[in-house]
Amino acid sequence: MRETREIAMEETVPRRQSFRNNPLRVLGAIGMSMLFSMLFVGVAMAQQVAVTGTVTSQAGAPLQGVTVRVSGTETRVLTNGTGRYTITAPANGALNFTVIGQKPAREEIGGRTRIDVKMEPVTYLEEVVVTAYTEQRRADITGAVASINVESAARETGASVLKRLDAVPGITVQTSGSPAGRSTVRIRGISSFQNNDPLYVIDGVPVQDTYINWLNPADITSIQVLKDASAASIYGSSNGVIVIETTKRGASGPPRMTLSARSGLSSPTKGLDDILITNAMDYFQVMKASYANAGRDIPTNVYGDPNNPSVPAYIFADPTTNPTLDSFGRVVAVDPAKYSYPRSLIMPGSAGTNWWQAVFGQRAPVGDYNLNVAGSGEDHTYGVSGNYFDQKGTAVYNDFRRGSVRANTQFNRGKFTFGENAAFAAEKSYGGMGDPGGYAEDGIMGKNIMMQPVIPIYDIAGNFASGKCVSCGNQTNPLKFAYERRNNINRNNKIFGNTFAGLQVLPSLALRSSIGFNQNSANFKGFNPATPENSEPGFTNSFNENQSTALDWTWTNTARYNKQLGQHTFNLLAGQEATHHQDRRMDGSEANFRSTSQDALYLQPSLGDASTITVTSGGGQSALLSYFGKADYNFQDKYIASATVRRDGSSRLGPEHRWGTFPAFGLGWRISKEGFLENNKILSDAMLRFGYGVTGNQQIPSGRIFAQYGGGGGGGGAIGDTYYDISGSNSSVVPGFRQTAIGNLDLKWEENRATNIGADLALFNGYLNVIADFYTRRTNNLLFNPALPATAGVASAPIVNIGKMQNKGFDLSVGHQGEKWNATLQGSHYKNEILQIDGVTNFFYGPVTTRFGNQVINKVGQPLGAFYGYVADGFFRDSADILAHAAQPGAQPGRIKFRDVNGDGKITADDRTIIGSPHPKFTGSLDLGYRYGNFDISGTVFGTFGNKIFDNQKEWYVFREFSTNVRKDLLANSWTPQNPNAKYPRIDVGDNFSSALSSFYVENGSYVRMRNLQLGYNVPSTLSRWLSATRVYVQAENLFTITGYEGLDPSLPAADVNGAGGDIRDQYMGVDRGSYPSSRTFSIGLTASF
Amino acid sequence: MTKASRQPMLLGTALMFLAAGTLFGCKDSFLTDAAAAQGVLDQSVLANSAGVEGNLIATYRALDYTNGVNGSQCTAASDWCWASVPSDDAYKGTEPTDFTALNDIEGYHWSTGLADGVLNDKWRAIYEGVSRANATLTLMAQVVKDKPAEITATDQKGITGEANFLRAHYMFEAYKIFGNVPYLRETDTDLRKASEPKAQVGADILKDLDVAIANLPTTPRKGQVGRATQWTAKAYKGKVQMYLGQYAAALATLKDVVQNGPYALQPSYDQVWTGFKAYENGPETIFAYQASANDGEPNGNNANAGERLNFPHSGSPFGCCGFHQPSQNLVNFFHTAADGLPAAFSLEPTAATWNADNKDNTGTYTAAMTLDPRLDWTAGRNGVPFKDWGLHDSTWIRNIPNGGTYSAKKNVHEKASGAQSSVGWVNTQLNSVNIHILRYADVLLLLAEAEEETGDLANALIHTNMVRNRAAVKAQGPGTSTANIAVPITDPSITWAKYTISPWTAAQFATQPLAQEAVRTERRLELAMEGQRFFDLKRWGVMQSTIAAYINGVGGGAEKNRRNYLPSAELPGTKHDNYPIPSTQVELSKVGSEVRVPQNPGW
Repeated sequence: MRETREIAMEETVPRRQSFRNNPLRVLGAIGMSMLFSMLFVGVAMAQQVAVTGTVTSQAGAPLQGVTVRVSGTETRVLTNGTGRYTITAPANGALNFTVIGQKPAREEIGGRTRIDVKMEPVTYLEEVVVTAYTEQRRADITGAVASINVESAARETGASVLKRLDAVPGITVQTSGSPAGRSTVRIRGISSFQNNDPLYVIDGVPVQDTYINWLNPADITSIQVLKDASAASIYGSSNGVIVIETTKRGASGPPRMTLSARSGLSSPTKGLDDILITNAMDYFQVMKASYANAGRDIPTNVYGDPNNPSVPAYIFADPTTNPTLDSFGRVVAVDPAKYSYPRSLIMPGSAGTNWWQAVFGQRAPVGDYNLNVAGSGEDHTYGVSGNYFDQKGTAVYNDFRRGSVRANTQFNRGKFTFGENAAFAAEKSYGGMGDPGGYAEDGIMGKNIMMQPVIPIYDIAGNFASGKCVSCGNQTNPLKFAYERRNNINRNNKIFGNTFAGLQVLPSLALRSSIGFNQNSANFKGFNPATPENSEPGFTNSFNENQSTALDWTWTNTARYNKQLGQHTFNLLAGQEATHHQDRRMDGSEANFRSTSQDALYLQPSLGDASTITVTSGGGQSALLSYFGKADYNFQDKYIASATVRRDGSSRLGPEHRWGTFPAFGLGWRISKEGFLENNKILSDAMLRFGYGVTGNQQIPSGRIFAQYGGGGGGGGAIGDTYYDISGSNSSVVPGFRQTAIGNLDLKWEENRATNIGADLALFNGYLNVIADFYTRRTNNLLFNPALPATAGVASAPIVNIGKMQNKGFDLSVGHQGEKWNATLQGSHYKNEILQIDGVTNFFYGPVTTRFGNQVINKVGQPLGAFYGYVADGFFRDSADILAHAAQPGAQPGRIKFRDVNGDGKITADDRTIIGSPHPKFTGSLDLGYRYGNFDISGTVFGTFGNKIFDNQKEWYVFREFSTNVRKDLLANSWTPQNPNAKYPRIDVGDNFSSALSSFYVENGSYVRMRNLQLGYNVPSTLSRWLSATRVYVQAENLFTITGYEGLDPSLPAADVNGAGGDIRDQYMGVDRGSYPSSRTFSIGLTASF
Repeated sequence: MTKASRQPMLLGTALMFLAAGTLFGCKDSFLTDAAAAQGVLDQSVLANSAGVEGNLIATYRALDYTNGVNGSQCTAASDWCWASVPSDDAYKGTEPTDFTALNDIEGYHWSTGLADGVLNDKWRAIYEGVSRANATLTLMAQVVKDKPAEITATDQKGITGEANFLRAHYMFEAYKIFGNVPYLRETDTDLRKASEPKAQVGADILKDLDVAIANLPTTPRKGQVGRATQWTAKAYKGKVQMYLGQYAAALATLKDVVQNGPYALQPSYDQVWTGFKAYENGPETIFAYQASANDGEPNGNNANAGERLNFPHSGSPFGCCGFHQPSQNLVNFFHTAADGLPAAFSLEPTAATWNADNKDNTGTYTAAMTLDPRLDWTAGRNGVPFKDWGLHDSTWIRNIPNGGTYSAKKNVHEKASGAQSSVGWVNTQLNSVNIHILRYADVLLLLAEAEEETGDLANALIHTNMVRNRAAVKAQGPGTSTANIAVPITDPSITWAKYTISPWTAAQFATQPLAQEAVRTERRLELAMEGQRFFDLKRWGVMQSTIAAYINGVGGGAEKNRRNYLPSAELPGTKHDNYPIPSTQVELSKVGSEVRVPQNPGW
C-alpha cells in the first residue's frame, strides 16, 4: 500500500564500452577517499602482558573471527582459523570476546597469560531483529516473521538482493537469467488481481521496486520477512513486508576494513541447441514431411529436389544480381559484383547455423568487488562501503554494471541520537533484455527459435543475413538484433537513504523522526535498425530516448514508551508517517537517421527525418498519510500480547473512502515456561503464536477515481486513435477525443484479513529449531477492473472494489545449527482461490491474448491465472475414430483429438476448460553447511513441485507457426500410422487445428535445482600476517537441475504485463514465452579484513 | 554534554516535531493535491462545442480501427478479411504458416480459437464505433442542456445526423458479419443489452438512417468532404434496403440518389482507387475512410494500417507481405469473349471454359487474350506494369503454391502520388489511399439490381452500362511516368494484354434471370477485392452454392486443384450465413446464467 516505484526497464541490448571517463569509476574513487578519510585509530597505554588463548564454541570447535578486545580500549585482535589469538593487554584488565551468533563473553585477565574461552551460542529466540519501526527480540514476536539467511544469500551472484530471497518458507521469487532482470517476489501466495509486490522497507524507508538493482547486497546486514497481518499491519501492506537493514555496525574499536572480491563465469543452464535442430538437412526432412503429409508440393527453392536434397549454395539472391536458377528454382550461381546493400542482397546457404551458440555461446564474466570500513566508538558507529559490480549477460552484448557508495553513521550525544544512512548508486544496463510481455517473438529468445538452421548469420558481404527466402520464416536475425542494440543503455542514478534524529526524553520514552528520500533519475536510449535482409524487410531505422525523474520522500515520526513494572513489560509505539511520490518523464523518437553512428543518434531535425520527430511527456503523483500505534505486553516472557492499529489515507482512492483503519493483534504463549514443561528434555523452548489482522491495499494507478479523456491512451498515441483527416487533405488530421478510462469515485481500500497460527520450537536443547505457521488470508473489496463487454467501447473499465480471493497454506522450517554442520529444511505450501469476481460474471481472461486466444483464465473457484483450453485426448487414429468422436473442425488422423467436455457432440469454444495451474503445491529448500578445520562447505538446494508450465513455445518448435525451427525429436516422435501413440501430432503444414490452445501445451513444471554450493578455506593467520580473517572460496550456482520440463528452463520469470489497473503479471504466471534462461556460474572469491 | 550544545539540538528537535505537526494538520490537501490524474483531460474540459465535435471526429476515425484492438488488420475499413478472403475473389495469400487465423476464415473453420480471436477484434472495433457515436450524442445533450447557446441549432442537427449515420454504419457492419447482435443507442445504460434478431437489427439501422436523413445537410458540414451528408445517408439507406431485400423501397431511395443527388462516376477507373489527391473525393465518392499519411502520427496509424499486409512481397518495391491475393477464379472472370462481354456470362460460348486458365507457375498471359481492362487495376500480374512501380514479376510473390501469382492492387498507391508514409513498420505499405465504403458505381449497380428485381429491365441495362462503359475508358499503361500510368485501352504502348470490353445489350437483359446474372456479373467485376463479394453472395442466397462451385469446379476450373489447402476447406453450410459471435463476448454478456448475446445458430 505504498507508492508504485517501477523503474522502466526498456527492452534494450548492448556492447562493451570504454571505461575511461566512466562515472562508475569516478564513483569508486570517491568511495575510496571517503573510506580513508574515516580511518582514525585509538591508542591505549598501560602495564602490558601478552595473553594468548583459544576460543571455542560450546561444543569445543574453534571459533574464527572472534573479536578479542581489551576492555575500555581500542586494542583488539581477531582469532584465527584454529580459534587462537594473542593480544597485549594490561595485566589487571579484562578481555571482551564478541562474534556474531555467540553471546558476548568477558574475562578478567588477573595476571594470566593464557585465557581459553568457551562461548555460548545466541539462541534463536534471543536474536534481535528489526521489525515494525523498531527492534524486537524474536522472543517477543507473535507474528510470522522470518529472517533471511544473509550468509546463504551471499552465495548468489545476482545483482539484486531480490534474486536471492526465496530461501525462506512462504516466499516465492520468479526471475530470469537476465543480469538486470526484474524479480517477482510473493509472500504467501497472491491476494490481489494486480500488484502483489511486497513492501520493502530499507533502513526505514518504504520502497516499491521490483528490481532493487541499486542496492548493493553486500551492504545488507539483515532481512526480515513480515509474513502475516499481525506483523505487517503496522506498515499497512497486505502483500507482506520485507525489512532490509544496511547498518553494518562496526564492532567497537578502530575501523576495520573488509575487502571482498568475487569473480566468475556464467553460461546458460541449458541451451536451445540442446532442444532445436541445428542441421539444415535435418530441418528439411521435417519440412518435407510437413508438406508431403498435407498433400502439398514440397518447396524446392532452397533444398532443390525433395528426393535428393542438398544444402543450397544460396538461399537468396536479389533478381538484379543475375542469379542462375536450376530446374528447382533455386539459385545456383550469382554475380557477386552486383551485390549492393541494402537493396540487392545475396545470402549463402548454411549447412547448419547454431543460432543459440551465435547469441549465447560465450562465457559471461561476473565481478563483484566490495570495500567496507566499519567501526564504532562510545558515541558513534559508522560504516562506509564502496561496490563495483559488473555482470555480463549470457547473451551477447548484454551487460549490467553498478557502482555504489554508502555511508551509514550514527552519533549519540547524551539523550540525542542522530545520523543517516545514505547510498548513491549508478547503474548501467546494456541491452537489458527484459522479461517477455505480449509477443515473445519480439525478443531475442523468440527470434532464436524462429531462425532455421539453413539461414546463414552473414551474407556474402559480411552484413547480417536473415531468412529472406520463401518458406524461411519472417524473423530478424537474433545476433543482429542484439548487435544493433549493443549501445542501448538504461541508466539509473539513485540517491537513497534517510536522516534521523532521536531524543531519549526519559529512560522509558524515546522520540524519533526520520526523513527518507529516494531520488531516481533514469534515462534510456534505444536504436532500432533497418532490416533489409528480412523476408518482411524494413528500410527505416529509428531512435528513441527517454528521461525520467522520480522523487519519493517519507517522513516518519515515532514515540516509543517502554516500561517494566515487576514482571510486566509494556512497549508502546505511536507514530505518524507521510509519503509522497512524484515522477515525470519525457520520451522522444525520430526515424530515418542519415548516420547510425552513436555520435549521430540524437533527436535533432537535421540528423534524420525531421517530420518523424515526436516528443511526449507524462508523470504521476500520489500521497499517503498514516497514523499508527502498537502496544506490546509481556508477562514473564511467558504471555505475550501485541496489538496494532494503522490508519491510512490514500490519494488514489475516492474522496469519501480515502481513509482506512487496519487493526491487528497477536498473542504468544511461551508454553515451555509453564511448570509442566520445565526441564522438558525434548522441548527446551516452545512458543505458540496466534495472530489476526486486517491490512489494506491501494496499489492502483493514481487518478482512476476520475473519468479520463484524450491523452496518450490507446496504442500509438491519440493521433493514431482519435484524430481524423475529415477534410480529405491526405496529410493532416483534426483532433478527436474519446474516453480513455472510466472513473470510479467510490474507490476504496482493498482489505485483506489474515489469520496465522504458529509455533517456534527448540527441541533437544536447541539441537533442532522448528518454526511452523498455518495461515489463511482472505481479500475482500478486491480492487480491479472487470472486463466489460465490447459494447462499452475500448475505454479502460473502471476499477471497482468487488473481487474476493483466498489463500491458505503453511510454512515450515526445521533447522539444526551445530558446530560442525548445520542444516535447514524449509518448505511451504499455499492454495489460492478466487472466491468472487464481480458478482455478474464468474471469469475473466488473462492479460495476453495470443494468436490462438487466451490460455489463461481467472475463474471463480480456481486459482488466479489458471490455464485454459481444450483437453487433448491423444490423436485421431483413423476415419472411424473421427466419426466416433464429437464433430471437431479439421479432424484428421494424426491430429490432436479434443475432449467434448460439455457432451454436445461438437467441439466448440464451450469445450474449453481448466487444464492446469501455475501455482506450486509445494516449494522447499535445503540449506546445508559443514565445517572441517579451516575448510567449510555449504550449499542450497531449491525445489518446486506440482506447478504446471504452459509451454507456449510449442507454437514454434512443435507447430512450426511462421516456418520456425523445431525440436530435434519432432520427426522421430510425431504421429504416423505406425506410431499412433506418438509424442507429437502428425507433422502437417495444413494442420491449423492441433495447435489450438489445449492441455497439449501444458507440462509439469516441477524441478529441483542446486542453487549454490560453496567451498571455503579460512586462511590461518600464520599464512596471512597482515590480513586477518582471510577467507577464500570457490562456488557454483545452478550446478544441476532435475526436471521433467522439456523447455529451456522451468524457472520462469513472470511476464511483463500491465493492465489499466496496473501491474498484472500474476495473471500470467508459468507461461513459457521464451525467457532468458538461468545461468550456471562458477566463481572464486576472497574476503579479507584488516 | 554542555548546555551550550544541547540547546540548539533541543530547539532543532522541537522545530522538527512542530513541522511534523503542521504537515499532519493539513492532511486533506496533502492527499487531494496528489489525487488528480496526470496528462489527461477531464470531462469538464470537453463539455463544449469543441468536445462534442472532437467526439464526432473520433467516431469517424473508428471507420478503420486497428490500433485500439492490438493492431488487428481484420478491423480494416475494407473488410478484406471478412468479405474478400472467404469469397471467390481472393485467397489469404502469403505463406501457409503466416497469420494462420485467416487460414481458418478462408477454410470456413470459423469456430476455432484463431478465428475467434480475429472475430473478437472486429466485434470490438464495431462497438467502439458505436460507443463513440453514442458518446457524441450523450455529450451533446449534456452541453445543450447546460449551455444552450454553445452549439448552433444547425450544428446540433448536423451532429445528430452524422452520429446517427455513423452508428448505422457500424451496426450495418455488425449486421453483415454477425447478424444477430445487440443494438446500443445513446439512451442505453445496460451494456449487457440483449441481442436482436438480424431482421430487427436491419430495421433499426434504417431507423437511424432516417434520423440521419432528417437532420443532415445536403452538403458536408464545414465543407469537410469526409463528413456524411443527407445524400450519403440516403445512398447508404438504399444499400441497406437492398440487403434487407426491400427492392421496391430500395428502388425509390436509390432512384432519388441517382436522379437528384450530387454524384457521378469518375471519368476513368484508374481514378477510383488512387493515391492522387486530385482524384480522391471526386464525384464518385459517397463515403470513404479518409486515410492520411505523414500527418504527425509516428507509426502511420492513420495511413491504412489495416491494409499494410496487402502489398506485394519481398522482390517488390513494397517489401511485404503478400496477403489478400486475387484468386485465379477472379482473374479468369475478367476474360472477355469475342463480343467484348464477360466470357463467364451464360449466353457466351466461352461460358463453359472461362475458368480453365491456370497461370500459377508461368504467370504470363499471352497478349492475344482478351481482357476486361479493370483486371489490371484490380490484380497485379506478372509482366504487367504495376501502376508506376515497374513490371510485376514472380519475385514479388511470397509463396506461389500457397497464394498464386497475383497481388492486390486497388489499395496500392501510385509512386508519383506521394501518398506513401515515411514512418511506421514498413512505411512503404502505409499510404493515404482512401478506402471506399460506398461509391457511386456501387449505387448504380444496386439501382440496376433493384430495377431488374422489380422488373424494370430496360433501366437496369442503362444503369449497368453506365458502370461498364466507364471501364472502357482507360487501361493500365506502361507507368514509366505519371502521364502514362493510365492510357486509352487500345493504346499501342500496351503490349501485355488485349483489352476488349463492350456494353451489355438488350439480349443479356431480355429476361429477369438473365438481367440478374448480368448485373451480378458486372458487380463482381466492378467491385472485386473491395470487401463486398462475400456479403453480396450471402444476400443473394447463393453463397453456399457459389463457394462450392468455386472450390469444386466451375467454368472448367476448380480452385481445389489450384490451392492445395482448399481440399481441406469445410464447404459452407447454413450456419455460415453468419459468423459466430466471439466466445468472449457471449461469455461477457452473461447476467447470472442468462446469456444476453447468444451464439449464432449452428455454431
